[in-house]
Amino acid sequence: MLVDNDIVERARAGDAQAFNEIVQAYRRRIFGTVSRLIGRPEDVEDVAQEVFIRLYYSLDQLRSPEVFEPWLYRLTVNAALDYLRKRRKRKPEARVADLSEQQVMMADAAAGTKFEIEARERARVRELVDTLLAGVSEQDRILLTLKEVEGLSLKELEQIYQVNENALKVRLFRARQRVLKAWAARRAEEARKGTSDDRREPKS
Amino acid sequence: MTGENRNLDQELDRLLAAYREACEPPEPSADFMPRLWARIEAAPQGWAERLWKWANGLAAAAAAASVLLVALQMFSRPAPDFYSATYVETLLAQTDAELAPAELAGMPAPPAPGEHSER
Repeated sequence: MLVDNDIVERARAGDAQAFNEIVQAYRRRIFGTVSRLIGRPEDVEDVAQEVFIRLYYSLDQLRSPEVFEPWLYRLTVNAALDYLRKRRKRKPEARVADLSEQQVMMADAAAGTKFEIEARERARVRELVDTLLAGVSEQDRILLTLKEVEGLSLKELEQIYQVNENALKVRLFRARQRVLKAWAARRAEEARKGTSDDRREPKS
Repeated sequence: MTGENRNLDQELDRLLAAYREACEPPEPSADFMPRLWARIEAAPQGWAERLWKWANGLAAAAAAASVLLVALQMFSRPAPDFYSATYVETLLAQTDAELAPAELAGMPAPPAPGEHSER
């Protein structure tokens, strides 16, 4: 735990200073988790704030300070889930992956600096994973991310989801299989596209 | 698992590790805390919280009313007996009253319980 139990107790009793201490202690961790769960750096702060607002209003329902961290994780998962649901309803935005190879090369040349090229590569990885995870439900996306990206153990997930370990294993396995299938299909599609592009390439 | 699948599985692990790196969290802005408090203070209560508070209020009112009624029951003077006869006595009196006109008209009284009529 990043804070003592008595700080949680005080915050639960309505002490604003204790609540501030909790936010300061967990802010970075929540930012990190939210960032990996939603994959959109520009929206991380808003979702993180939503987590702390929910924490503020639900602290009085916390059974004991010992379960504070799983409780906070659950709030984070729910806030991320709500964000992902809302985002799915919105229009898709322009993506790096939608650009042709030539456009990407031109953009890289224009970007020039190493930092900008790295930023573009990071955006490409985020978009690729985002696309692959779009094939599973929001709940499975979050579960998979918590396990495979955040590196939470099954025991920790059990505490967050309050579901037994075997059920979690089954869900994780199925979600991973779906992602793998989507990736294999995507790679096959890219390979097919690459072959047809090569055929169209004018001979010099 | 075939070799190709295993490769893909390992590549997925690598991709997810790269995703972790790619999702480096942004630094919280300087006005994170003031904005958070402003949002907390401005946040309207959700219907669930309002319902919860209403339910709590109702439960408290019901409990208070129960305590009050029990106290009233305990400390109020016992009411005078309205009925002095027992249930059986009242039933017998009513049966006699119903049978009286039939006996007056000379009709035989119905057999007493346990007495068999001969045919």
